[in-house]
Amino acid sequence: MKRIVDAALGGAVPGRQVRRRGFLGATAAAAAAPYVITSRALGDATTPPASDRIVIGGIGIGNMGSGDQGAFLGRPDVQYVAVCDVRKTFREKGKERVDQRYGTPDCAAYVDFRDLLARDDIDAVHIATPDHWHAIMTIAACRAGKDVYLQKPETLTLREGPLMIAAARRYGRVVSGGSQRVFDDYHDIVDPCWAGEIGAIRSLDISVGGPSQACYLPAQDTPPDIDWDLWLGPAPWEPYHPGRCDGNFGTGGNSWRSYVDYSGGSLTDWGAHHFGGAIFAADLRELQPEKVTYHPRSADGRDAAYVSLTYPNGVEIHHNRPQALRPQASVAHGGAIQIVGDGTPRAPKAVPGYRGQGGIYGDFIECVKTRQRPFRDIELAVNTMTAPHLVAIAYRLERSLVWDRAAQRFRDDAGADRLVDRARREPWIV
Amino acid sequence: MAFDSSRLDAALAALTAFDWGADPGPLATIDEAVVAAHGAEALRADLERRLLGVLAGTASRAAKEYVCRRLAVIGSAASVPGLSRLLDDPDQSHMARFALERIDAPEAGAALRAALATTTGQRRIGVVSSLVGRGDAGCVPLLADLLGAEPALAIAAAEGLGRLASPEAAAALAAAKPGPADAAILDARLACADAFLARGERTQARGIYDAIAAGVGPTPTSHRDRALRIAATRGRLACLDRT
Repeated sequence: MKRIVDAALGGAVPGRQVRRRGFLGATAAAAAAPYVITSRALGDATTPPASDRIVIGGIGIGNMGSGDQGAFLGRPDVQYVAVCDVRKTFREKGKERVDQRYGTPDCAAYVDFRDLLARDDIDAVHIATPDHWHAIMTIAACRAGKDVYLQKPETLTLREGPLMIAAARRYGRVVSGGSQRVFDDYHDIVDPCWAGEIGAIRSLDISVGGPSQACYLPAQDTPPDIDWDLWLGPAPWEPYHPGRCDGNFGTGGNSWRSYVDYSGGSLTDWGAHHFGGAIFAADLRELQPEKVTYHPRSADGRDAAYVSLTYPNGVEIHHNRPQALRPQASVAHGGAIQIVGDGTPRAPKAVPGYRGQGGIYGDFIECVKTRQRPFRDIELAVNTMTAPHLVAIAYRLERSLVWDRAAQRFRDDAGADRLVDRARREPWIV
Repeated sequence: MAFDSSRLDAALAALTAFDWGADPGPLATIDEAVVAAHGAEALRADLERRLLGVLAGTASRAAKEYVCRRLAVIGSAASVPGLSRLLDDPDQSHMARFALERIDAPEAGAALRAALATTTGQRRIGVVSSLVGRGDAGCVPLLADLLGAEPALAIAAAEGLGRLASPEAAAALAAAKPGPADAAILDARLACADAFLARGERTQARGIYDAIAAGVGPTPTSHRDRALRIAATRGRLACLDRT
């Protein structure tokens, strides 16, 4: 039915590829950035002609965005045409990289993502901004008819997830989350779990950093390199400080990943990988936790507080449970993830994997072509990220909670419901 | 009240003098009080009253932002007057909404609805955003009136009506005159159709899907139009599937 529907809509790739032939000079934006016909544009034995490539633009071309750009830029089935970043340095570097790759000066560079999304020649975007932009940009991209590769953590608040899923489904978009590690890095736990070797999974222990913190860094003069208002976007206005907006991977106070207005901290940043790998190993990606149990610091002060999640099937995930309380693991991923099964071997299940070639990026491109759901489809990503978000709220409130997945709110706890979302700075709305 | 009031006194004094770049350490006591206030009404009300005092005083923007963040967690109807006074303040409107949007007292919704008539510029858009964030069904007629406003406000109103997705919102969107919010109205109407469908009201949903499909036409030429056609056609098929 899906293939018939897509064909009828012209949404399936063969139809889209035919129409994409019209992108050369089809829009005012394209006219502003004239496309030079090169031998690469016509294709060769290893490179499809331009008309059959997925046309991509990148939003957020800094640290992680640069890595994503490189992965897409290296693909023969991708035509990379535009970059967008609120920082001039990243913008120019990103454009230069594309122009060098193709040997043309044609890559467009935008400050405002809405200008990039307005280009009709662009089929798909990759987004690697700070997390506070993810929902707004993803929904806008879906409305514009673009497919989306979205860096993890895909959501900043619990409320955003269902809105992003709804946009993806409503407009028939391929929206892939962006944790490349979930499939690639956790074979040591995924393979035995899916092979049934440890039996029914009972509990998982995940060791990863905690939630993000408030930011009180002092004001500094805003450098001309950055559009500070657009960097902040829906987040509260705060003065510029390089440690507030740096994109490095630390969470110790010198990056946006450290701070609550832009990130969930280590808990959702590295947590997207560790929770993602553990949840994948335990085949929990379709579920969301229902019980959130806050365990206060031990009376003797030796054991720090920790949080446990209970899934509807009874499986428990413990975040930073003290070592002394953990049962012996059946399988482990270093010191980060330990999984306990009941020890009674079960029938093996086929492990889901990437489509296409080239890891998670190839998976996304293949799904753009075939209109299949990617390995980290947005719905699975949202389910996964719900776990660390719930953990963060329990730590903040220092109490246990019950999560009602259907209602997307807490049961009998109006106070906790206040943390499901947050007001966005005008004029941004989701 | 089990919480040490003298510690709170010292923390609130530090908050009054707080600014970006200052040591936030003394504020930790207030954060502890916010947690302890759950189920401790006397402490919660006392803390709220004291935080509102900082908000009404001459504390820095950073200190008042801190207050609004905490009122978002422990604020009640008692916070509404102090917060709603800030809704048209260019520097504090957003943080006032940061608290008001999350305070579940009906007074907070009423204050935001009233602010639609008193705020200006982007701050009015912010008020729309917060009413929608509250799921305030009572604001639908007010948002409907804004569909003919200046473009940015009309677009926000349309997006808001789509999020609320009630039959009344759908009717207002269907009755909107052509204008700069047309694209947002289409998106909002699709959201309303999806909501109708989810409620099992297939006839109403089908009507919207049909209208949007007819508007796009059988051979969409842009990504946007193709996405709209996909949305409408999938909706129409879903209506058939459930018949």
